[in-house]
Amino acid sequence: MEITESVLHGTPFLVLRGRLDGLSAPAVEEKVATLLSSGATRLVFDCSGIEYASSAGLRVFLSAAKKLKTTGGRCGFAALSPPLREIFEISGFLDVLEIHDTVESATA
Amino acid sequence: MTQLTFTEEIVLLALDDKTGAPLHLPVTALSYGLAGAVLADLAVAGKIDTDPERLNVLDPSPTGDPLLDPWLALITAEKNPRSVAHWLSVLADRRAEIEQPALDRLMARGILRREDKKILWVIGLRRYPTVDGQERTEVRTRLGELILGEDLPDPRDAILVSLLRGCRLTDHIFDGPEFAAREQRLATLAKMDLVGREVASATTEAIIALSTAMNASVPHM
Repeated sequence: MEITESVLHGTPFLVLRGRLDGLSAPAVEEKVATLLSSGATRLVFDCSGIEYASSAGLRVFLSAAKKLKTTGGRCGFAALSPPLREIFEISGFLDVLEIHDTVESATA
Repeated sequence: MTQLTFTEEIVLLALDDKTGAPLHLPVTALSYGLAGAVLADLAVAGKIDTDPERLNVLDPSPTGDPLLDPWLALITAEKNPRSVAHWLSVLADRRAEIEQPALDRLMARGILRREDKKILWVIGLRRYPTVDGQERTEVRTRLGELILGEDLPDPRDAILVSLLRGCRLTDHIFDGPEFAAREQRLATLAKMDLVGREVASATTEAIIALSTAMNASVPHM
């Protein structure tokens, strides 16, 4: 999985491209941990390039959202790719996570 | 407090608080619940990963936990990746081999004690009452607050709620009117883990199969 970090409107966002599974999830988790330890209170995932997400991948997303919410922050999921939207729907993540159509609206 | 495995938590929560007797659950529900708990333990240990089609081994090296390693070895030995439903079925058939070591460990941890009784001086009856109920109270309080509130669950609690609902234990553990009013919230939380959803499907299918078989055996008048 390709992970690119960027900032828009002062909010860090991670562009994820490829397969988010048990092999790639630890790298995403590490990236999130680094951002949180540097004091980030908002984080957005650009999910437009996610081709596949397994249970391990979903746990990384849930864990990030939970950690940010616990510290009074926010975590957004933007531009869900069709495969990710489908798995988010099956798992009920659409109902509990902050979903945005675009990174622009998620960071506004 | 010691972090219990999902397998230990399901075994613990499937016992009556006061008597230590097994709670009354639908046919095979606890077998699937325990099978799901083993898979969940292996998943959070980073040994396996799942999606709606298949279960993949990520790392075949042992976890070091004797409650889990026989099952990881069994899954690893399968040449072709199989579905979560397949492994639930395989492990559910071996419930006793999952349950008894977990009961033994809960006793070794000082959480449960064994009580052997005789009914009518002949029939042996074994029960596992809790020593002080601290672990059970803690998990019930934590999950109860999650169900009654609006907080996001952490992944571990999402898995546990999903497993508990999948094998119908939530009907026993969260049975007050306040929880009845939160059925939709519970359903949302329970959807969040794939293994828990598969446990729910397997349990429901087993109940339907039993009901169909019973209806077929009733003579038509």
